Amino acid sequence: MYRNDPILPTFALILAAGLFYAAYLDGQHIARLLGHVPEKLSVGQIGLMAFGAVLLLYGLMGLVSYWLEGMELRPGRHFPTPSTAPVAAGVILVLLLTALSGFFVRLLVYAAQTGHNPTWLQGLIFGSISLVVAALFGIYRRFFGREEVITEEEKSEFPW
Amino acid sequence: MYRWLDERLDLKGLYHKVLRKAFPVHHSFFLGEITLFAFIVLVLTGIFLTLNFEPSIREVKLPDGRTVPAAYASVLYIDSLPFGAVIRSLHHWSANVMIAAAFLHMLRILLSGAYKKPRELNYLVGLALLGLAVVTAFTGYALPYDNYAVTATRIGYGIANSIPWVGTTLAQVMFGGEFPGSEKSIPRLFSLHVLWLPLGLMALIGLHLAIMIKQKHTQPRYAERVAPGKILGVPMYPQQMVMMVILFALYVGIMTIIAGAFLAHPVEAFGPPTPQTPQVKPDWYFLWLYGLLQIIPSSWEFRLFGATIGPEFIGGVVVPGVLGLVAVLLPFVDTRKDKMRYMELPSEHPVRTSVVLALLVFFLMASLAGYKIDFQQQGSILGENAVLWTLVLGGPLLTFLVSYVLMRVFYGKAREGEAL
Repeated sequence: MYRNDPILPTFALILAAGLFYAAYLDGQHIARLLGHVPEKLSVGQIGLMAFGAVLLLYGLMGLVSYWLEGMELRPGRHFPTPSTAPVAAGVILVLLLTALSGFFVRLLVYAAQTGHNPTWLQGLIFGSISLVVAALFGIYRRFFGREEVITEEEKSEFPW
Repeated sequence: MYRWLDERLDLKGLYHKVLRKAFPVHHSFFLGEITLFAFIVLVLTGIFLTLNFEPSIREVKLPDGRTVPAAYASVLYIDSLPFGAVIRSLHHWSANVMIAAAFLHMLRILLSGAYKKPRELNYLVGLALLGLAVVTAFTGYALPYDNYAVTATRIGYGIANSIPWVGTTLAQVMFGGEFPGSEKSIPRLFSLHVLWLPLGLMALIGLHLAIMIKQKHTQPRYAERVAPGKILGVPMYPQQMVMMVILFALYVGIMTIIAGAFLAHPVEAFGPPTPQTPQVKPDWYFLWLYGLLQIIPSSWEFRLFGATIGPEFIGGVVVPGVLGLVAVLLPFVDTRKDKMRYMELPSEHPVRTSVVLALLVFFLMASLAGYKIDFQQQGSILGENAVLWTLVLGGPLLTFLVSYVLMRVFYGKAREGEAL
């Protein structure tokens, strides 16, 4: 609550890993009781994984924010200096994005033609596309975007 | 083009008034943003689902010869579409994540004292949002009309029906008649789930954000040192907007991977509704209420002004009602005279922090009580009512004491004159 530190987000990631592991153990326990692996997640597993997902997102977002915005803001402007490495990383990511998009379309066509839906692969590819987009914007924000920190009066006329 | 628009719409004015608004930076604000992202994804995936879902329980024949309700058949159809099962799973997971994130967001508000002057109203709007999000998720639960969903929804129907004097009417309004059985139930729940409740959520989210922009965020404490009395942050455009795009893409990426790998509600595995009642539990966010229903003895029943006050009403309505009332009254009990600008540190408020931790343990223990029958079947001591009561009441009390003593030992006495 004091500053934008990376400690709480890191602990959130550790806790998220713990919750996902607890959900896995719950699944093992249920499988032992039933004598077979059930086709569905239990209520407890969904609850653990939902909180695990929130903490995972919170942890990642917190670390991204720490990387992009720092621990403390200081009023002023900062203009990035041109650099080759981020451009190269951007080009590689764009190529990866194109390849993943093409593969995703192929997956959809395959599912439509055969009726077979490999959901884990569809989710993985679409999710990866989104993560690459996030990485591209992250590179832009870190290495190309104008950095500005401002102060504002407490009283403003917006929205009323 | 820009000049043409600027001459007509005064875009410069918009930029200086709106897009230069300062956004304070702190990771704990992301819990609210995750809730918002989940809602956006719910709306987007929900649009796809409504285009293919049939809100009816009329009997239809599947290609394999089985006769099933139309709602169930349409969900099977959605799952058969390319990427359809992932979109439905993402919708289901986002509903769970929205409630979990909203709950953790509320905990952050409680721990940092952000409900105090001048944010009391926005805190109440947030509470209403959390409640409405749970109700919206519940109304969507029955829609696939599979054996599991129907049985789990019946528990909610029973609770609504148990409310004295108004329960029957409320159940009629919510479920359109007896559930399961009435042909109007699914169309009623469908219209509530896709139209009225989301409209209410959108209105409340809009109000929540508008009040937040007017009153400003509570800032991280260091801002007091850097820019005293002012709002310290990054401008909404371009920095905050780019940041929002990054975080939204991160949300969609992570959640789609989870949704594809773990299909949350596989209707094929549950099958269509049958006369046999499967052993089910309600969703995890109702598990604590279900746990209370499990441990409240059936003898807790009496008549009052012609109505029956039973265990279902006590566990399902009275207890959450009392907790809700306490939550509503909190900002008017724990107050401060000056405007709150900076987040309070939980370590400086040992009583409040310990109460929040105790509340968390209460929810956990009450949820554990939801597994009473399972414990009994395994011959565990946790199947005993007395043990569960001890955990539900003693666990929070012990947590409060341990937490309070530890914080006093490590952080010293709270400053004099501070509430809670």
